[in-house]
Amino acid sequence: MSLRNLRNPGLWITVLAVALLGLWPIVTQRASTREEIFTVMLSVVLASSLNILLGYTGYVSFGHIVFFGLGGYVGLYLIIVQGWSLWPSMIAGGLAAGLLALLLGQAILRLRGSYFALATIGINEAMRAFINNFEPFGGPTGLSLNFQTYNQYGGAANALWLIYYIVLILAVFNIFLSYIVKTSKFGLGLMAIREDEDAAEVMGVITPRSKTWAYVLSAILPGVVGVLFFFKNGNIEPPQAFRLHLSIELLVMVMLGGYGTVFGPLLGAVGYQRLRGLLLTSDLFKNIQLAVAGLLLLLIILFIPAGAVGWLRQRFPVVRRFIP
Amino acid sequence: MNRSRRVMVFLVFALLALAISVSGVAAQAQTVVIGFTASQSGRYNVESTRQINGLNLWLNQVNDAGGITLSDGTVITFSTVFYDDESNTDRVQELYTRLATDDNADFLISPYSSGLTDASSIIAEQYGKIMITTGAASDSTYMKGYSLVFQTYTPASRYLTGALDLLASLDENAQRIAIVHENDKFSTDVSTALNDYALELGYEVVLFEGYDSGATDFAPFINKIQEAAPDAVLGGGHFQDGSTFARQLYEKTVEPGFVALLVAPPEPSFSELGEAALGVVGPSQWEPLAQIDASAAEAAGVDFYGPSSAEFNDAYMEAYGEEPSYHAAGGYIAGLLLQKAIEDAGTIETQAVKEQLDAMNLLTFFGRIQFDVTPEAHGLQIGHSMMYVQWQGMADALEKQIVWPPEAVTADPIYPIGGE
Repeated sequence: MSLRNLRNPGLWITVLAVALLGLWPIVTQRASTREEIFTVMLSVVLASSLNILLGYTGYVSFGHIVFFGLGGYVGLYLIIVQGWSLWPSMIAGGLAAGLLALLLGQAILRLRGSYFALATIGINEAMRAFINNFEPFGGPTGLSLNFQTYNQYGGAANALWLIYYIVLILAVFNIFLSYIVKTSKFGLGLMAIREDEDAAEVMGVITPRSKTWAYVLSAILPGVVGVLFFFKNGNIEPPQAFRLHLSIELLVMVMLGGYGTVFGPLLGAVGYQRLRGLLLTSDLFKNIQLAVAGLLLLLIILFIPAGAVGWLRQRFPVVRRFIP
Repeated sequence: MNRSRRVMVFLVFALLALAISVSGVAAQAQTVVIGFTASQSGRYNVESTRQINGLNLWLNQVNDAGGITLSDGTVITFSTVFYDDESNTDRVQELYTRLATDDNADFLISPYSSGLTDASSIIAEQYGKIMITTGAASDSTYMKGYSLVFQTYTPASRYLTGALDLLASLDENAQRIAIVHENDKFSTDVSTALNDYALELGYEVVLFEGYDSGATDFAPFINKIQEAAPDAVLGGGHFQDGSTFARQLYEKTVEPGFVALLVAPPEPSFSELGEAALGVVGPSQWEPLAQIDASAAEAAGVDFYGPSSAEFNDAYMEAYGEEPSYHAAGGYIAGLLLQKAIEDAGTIETQAVKEQLDAMNLLTFFGRIQFDVTPEAHGLQIGHSMMYVQWQGMADALEKQIVWPPEAVTADPIYPIGGE
């Protein structure tokens, strides 16, 4: 990774796109717009993180949401039970998710293809069952935040804005992280694993180590945003925290935008969430929004399987410089 | 003043009077917007749909009657704005923020379930909107320091405690109880409170076990129940697991004298279990059988408000062609309480309506309504009590009867199960 890579216009176009989208609610000061874009930014962070494992390394994870849930639980436990502030709790949530990925990675990253995918489902379910019986985290009842806690952050209204700013910064940071990984020697090693793991090993890539670090990197930010989401939500329960459905939605976002690209997960997350948001609140479609969303996704995946960015990069090679 | 000038002056005054009267009429008519999310898809779809049916029935009745007239002559009618929350929390805060800001909802009704209500309560409180919750029984929601969130349901902590009161009234020698419950938030909250209450009453809790949501094989738990030989088995969770648990208890000929399970027994389809359903007791927020009307209020020494049970039942049957469940009654009552508070406040201003809700103590067809006003548990329902139903009669023609509390009973309880 050299500084020359940072001069790539594509990186800055991507960062600018995220920043502009993120600044929109701040300029308009509309709370409802903030909430819509918060959902989008959350998905950008989650999808972009998943892309490090799925897009760069070629490992399909159906259980990525486990890091989001675990991070949320650790963070809320520290805030509610231990009386910590949001800031260290956020970091602790991210570290807990990273540590879990490090430990799990040693075991399940030896598996490949569908075996790995199935194992990730099992991990998510096992974690949900564990937390459901883990009394310090409230067991099945979960943990609830007192409304007065927001007073430390200037009241609920300010706290919601604060959380929004943090998620926006994390989304921009994640774009940089994703780009740096992609253009680094480490990232090239991951992509070699994606193309042919055995050949990558022969070429000198230390595959177990690379895969484990990719897994850890992809887990930390979901852990951090898990703390933010559940802090904002006011409570956390096992079924919400470890929702397999959300993992699948993340896969759809990455595939929709274009896996293995920096811009793809961003586009996929924005497109998917905006589409769902519009359908949900549209008078015409709100009663059949799931069917319409499903149909549109089916059409996109059928006709542009490489995702929107993948299709653009294949069709118009000249745009590769501008859409990393 | 000549004639034409007098006519001109008259016309000017007439126009002014007309303008004033028109603006006066406009000021006297006001539409109040009620915002909420409904689970039009996902796992809460059935309960949420019934809840919204109940709310819409109330709204249509009020609007068809010309709205409500406040003391200053303002006529209030109601309209709703709602979105699908898909039965999950991902977008609840986004949608409630939209309702509170873009849609300018004057009042909010909660989504169905405690989890979704927890997320939406923060938004209601943040934007200073009163939210009446229905379908949200968890106690913890109301212990977070909110001041504008008001619960209509009996809280989870009192869901099954009445079943123990019933048991105590039936058999003072019954001492050993087993609690086997679904391992989710709602059932665990209920069972933990039940356990505490049982110990308080001097019962011996010989078994306290949780099973995973979606469990279909209860043999390990039934074996433990057989070993513990309790006088009563209480617990359960939701419809599917509760029905399976009741059936397997019957099939394995475990016959404690008393069985009380959450959620499943009040559902009409529970009777399809035949003999396995016979004698099983279940708590219900409201039952069509219960005859609650103005005479009951007089006996209780409080005011009665709204339709009687029979009137609500008939109106719902006519509107939707099915018997109302307690979810439907909960939706209706949420609107009715808002109506009462607005009428008493004489305005839709939040603080004035909140004060009326704080002071509310009345009887409705749904039961007694009173809210906790202490800062520790503001908005928690303290007036309403559960009813306990039991399936009775012949296995092929079971009938649901109310067996507790004494003022609502429609038949004597069967005890012990299989004893007659």
